[in-house]
Formats: sequence, C-alpha cells, structure tokens
Amino acid sequence: MVESTPNALCFGDEFSASGAPCLVHVEDHGLTITFFPDRDGAVSRSESLRFSELTVSAGGLDHDQLVATWVGFKGQRTLYLKSSDVIRAFRQAAPDHLSQPLERAAEQVRQVRQRHRMVWSIVGGALLVVVLGLWFGSDVLVELAVDRIPVEWERKLGESTYHDFLAHQDVMKEGPSVEAVKEMIHRLTGQIPESPYTFEVTVVKSDVVNAFALPGGYIVVFTGLMKKAESGEEVAGVLAHELNHVLQRHGLERIVKQLGFVAVVSIVLGNPPGLGGVMKQLGVELMTLKFGRAQETEADLTGLQLLYRAKIDPSGMITFFQRLAEKDEGRVEWLSTHPMSNARAERLKTQLAEMPKQNTEPFTFDWTNVRASQGAPISTLR
Amino acid sequence: MKSEILYPGAFPMVRLELAEGEHIKAESGAMVACSPTIDIESKMEGGFLGALSRKFLTGEKFFFQTLRASRGAGEVLLAPTVPGEIVVLELDGVNEYMVQKDGFLAGADGVVIDSQMQSMSRGLLGGEGFFILKMSGKGMLALNSFGAIHKIELKPGQEYIVDNSHLVAWSTTTTYNIEKATSGWVASFTSGEGFVCRFRGPGLVYIQSRNPGSFGAWVRQFIPVSQ
Repeated sequence: MVESTPNALCFGDEFSASGAPCLVHVEDHGLTITFFPDRDGAVSRSESLRFSELTVSAGGLDHDQLVATWVGFKGQRTLYLKSSDVIRAFRQAAPDHLSQPLERAAEQVRQVRQRHRMVWSIVGGALLVVVLGLWFGSDVLVELAVDRIPVEWERKLGESTYHDFLAHQDVMKEGPSVEAVKEMIHRLTGQIPESPYTFEVTVVKSDVVNAFALPGGYIVVFTGLMKKAESGEEVAGVLAHELNHVLQRHGLERIVKQLGFVAVVSIVLGNPPGLGGVMKQLGVELMTLKFGRAQETEADLTGLQLLYRAKIDPSGMITFFQRLAEKDEGRVEWLSTHPMSNARAERLKTQLAEMPKQNTEPFTFDWTNVRASQGAPISTLR
Repeated sequence: MKSEILYPGAFPMVRLELAEGEHIKAESGAMVACSPTIDIESKMEGGFLGALSRKFLTGEKFFFQTLRASRGAGEVLLAPTVPGEIVVLELDGVNEYMVQKDGFLAGADGVVIDSQMQSMSRGLLGGEGFFILKMSGKGMLALNSFGAIHKIELKPGQEYIVDNSHLVAWSTTTTYNIEKATSGWVASFTSGEGFVCRFRGPGLVYIQSRNPGSFGAWVRQFIPVSQ
C-alpha cells in the first residue's frame, strides 16, 4: 500500500538520531504527520500542524530537502521532506507568510545547484584547455625543452648508444669506402662552420640498405646502402639528410616528446616498471628512431641546401630516394623509416628548381672503385 | 531476512538467513560459505553503464554477486576483505546513506545503489574521492569498516568534526563542510590532520577507527624494495 510508505523523517528529542520515519499529508490548513509504530511496539499516531506553527528552510547533504521546524509539546521538532510531490503540494498549499521563506529555500537549492554546475564547468573547461594546449602546443614545449638541453648531454646520450650498437657490428676501419664517406662528410661539414657537433661517421659492413644519425653527431652508413648507389653524390644526399637530423636536434625532440608522453602516462597509470624501464625503453626508441613527417621534410630541404652549398650535385639525392623506393620497396631499411612519397620527391624537385644553377665539383674518389672494394669482401662472405 | 554478526570485533562475519525465493546482493568475493540451497550469480548492478561508472568512478567492483535462495531457505556467511567491524542498518525507504567506496558489504534486493558525484571541495579534500555510493530503498544494508565502527548520533543543528578518511557512511539529512584542522595552514598539516569534515545534524555518521591510507603508508615502509 502506497499510503503506508513513509515519505519523511522527523527529528526531535524523543526520537532516535536517525529520525522517525513518518507519513506527511499536506492539507489546506497545514500538515498531518503519521508516525509509524516502531520496533518497541508503540502504536501508530498522528498529529496535525498548522502552517502558522512552521518555519521552513532548505537542508540536507545537497541542500535539496525541505526542512520544516516547529516547537511541539516535547520540544523542538524538525521534519525533513525529500519527496518532490510532497514539497510541491506544500508550496501550493502554504499561506502567504511561508511563501517568502519557501521561495528563499528554493533559491538556495537553485544557487547550490548552479554553483556545482559552474565549478564543474570551470574545471572541465580548464582540463579541456590543458589537453588542447598540450595537443597543439606540444611542439613549442618540446622545442623549449630541447633548447635547454646542453649539446654535451646530447653527445653523451648518442655516444653510448653508438658504441653499444657498433660493438655488435662488423665495422670497416679503412679502405676506399671509408675514405669516400670521410670525404663526403668533410665536404658537407665544411659548409656548417658554426656547428657545435663534431661529426663521427662509421661504415658498417652489412647488406642492410640503411644509414642513420644519432643525437650528438654519430652517423652510421651500411655498405648495403652504398652498393645500391650509382654515384658518390647519391650517398652524399642521404648523408646530408642525416646530418640535418642531427643539426636540427630531431632525435632529441623525439626523445623529449616520448619522455613527456611517458611521464604523462606514468602519472595517469602509475609507473610499475620504474625509471629503469623507461630508460631501457628510451634506448630502444633511440635505435629505432622514426622521424616525424615534419622532421623528414625539414631534413630533406635543409639537406638539399647543404648539398648545394657544398657544391655536390643535389639531383643525386632525389634520384636515389626515388630509385630505392621503386625497385626495392619493402626490402630497404632506410625507406621504412623514411617513406618516399611522391609529394616528398616533388617538394625536393620544386626546391631544386628554385635554386640558381651552379657548377658542381666532383668527388676525388672513383665510385666504381669504391663499389668494387665493397663487392669483394661481401662476395667472399657469401 | 534475519541477520546476525558473528565474532564481533576485528574479524567478523555476518550470517544472513534467507527465506525461499529471497535474494541479496553482496560485494563480489564477499561470500564465505552458504547452504546448498543458495545459488550464486554475478550481476552488474544498475546495468552495464551503472556497473562501469561504479567501477571507474568509485573504485567499487564491476560485478556484485547475487545470492539467491532459489531451492529452499538457507543461510549465507559474508565477510569483507579488510579486518574491521560490520554494521547492519535497516533502510525504510526514507532513510538514505552516503557510503564511502569500500564500505558496502551486502544489501537486500530492495536496496538501491547509485554512484553519486560529490561537490568539488568534498571530492578533492574529503578523502573519499569525487564519487561515492548512495544507498536508498528498503531493506537490510551491511557495511564494513577498516577497524571498529563508531556511530555518531547528531541532533538537529549539532556539530561534530571527523578527520577525513575515517568516514564510513552518513545520512543524507546531515550536511558537512571541509575545513582545515586548525586555524593555520601549516599547523593543519603538521598536526597530522590536514583537512577535517565538520558535520551538522540531524542524522547518523558512522566512522571507522582506522585510516586505511595511513595504514597503507605505514605498511609500505616494511615492504622490501625489489630490484
């Protein structure tokens, strides 16, 4: 039976602190409150109250309950009404002297709700701004962070990875290939007079068609890449590109971005493997650095300019990239980290066309000899 | 449904006698033993989204277990995970309680469990998180605490101060404000209390005699650091 369900709690000296459940009826003259028999076996009883005896306010945990107080025979009593039907009936039946306090109570409820909504919208908005700011401003932040890292640190970072890597490789110490690469690097770095880096380049005997640059100026060229090249200018194009990754501190930017991401993830999800895990992860990341598209474009264009300044034929760079992409897609390591798109080649061609024509200076080595010197040991290995 | 608390103190269990067809919901993993007439079902209380919000917002379990006396009357023994007392309340349809996220042990079928968002200051500083459980409806409600449970009875307008993180449950007729433990900021934190909740009656406030967070910090110093 609905009628027997309590709809309010009454507090007073003779009731327990949890309140006495009661049924409140709103009538024309006031309220009828029926108390239920409690567990002690007391009988159910009703009492009537006139509106003139009551004072009202808003109360409860969320200020969403109507609180009516009056002084009865046994001291002060307080009634907590939560049912919206009863509150509505109360407001409709209440005489003029109660309408003002009722309005005040309703206003209080509205204010509390509005305040909650406002605080949560401000917090939500602030969070959104932070997320958007990080999303769009991360590049600026990364650049700022990278600018503060001394070259010396960058050099140490690259050096340890470089030596770790070379320890497991078949390094070429001398020979025409090493001399040729040294000449290319010398010509290119001669055009970067204010570079804070001392470039170190190593030729690694391997069929892998790849070359990479580590932060701090450590460059590795595989003989596989040199064997694919039809001229020294083509290899010089790849080197110019890699040198510019170092000069623009692209590797460091990636690490800072990754570190920032790891830090955010650690804050959100906790950091179970500890800092050691992060450092290990970073080392792996360093070896498989995949440069972002913007960084690739930047290294392409600055690489092209560097070739131009060093008077090395820049068209070798474009043709080599394109030829590798056409013939050996899927097998060329360098392309997996430097995907060759038409847009990329076109951008380079446009850039090249805009540069004034100049006479290029050939290298002193004979490229056929260089390739022949590589061919022999590799064929014996097979 | 009859309930009885066995072994009151630090390691209690609650025994519930179910009539045939009667069922209760309990925190997942709370069942210790039961009569062979009782079937255990897993249920996402409040539907998938309700369960999801409860899991992510309050840290409560995704599933509740339903224990149903489907093959005749029987009894169920339930116990919480942490050492601490159990208190059984009776909801009558108008009494409502806010319960901190680990406080729920079991409830009759008529008990409605919602996760509710607290205000910014209460969420940030109250020590209970932004989302807590709201228990309404009708029937038996068993709560558990970390340490002993102490009941504070507040008359209308009566105030009482409780250190945050010691709260278990409080009636919705009470109100509370978060404030600094002492008048100064520095003293508030050096006193070890930080923020406290100033409750104002009428209603009941159940508090626990131990603070789980502080206990965790105390235990942590004895855990060997792994490599």
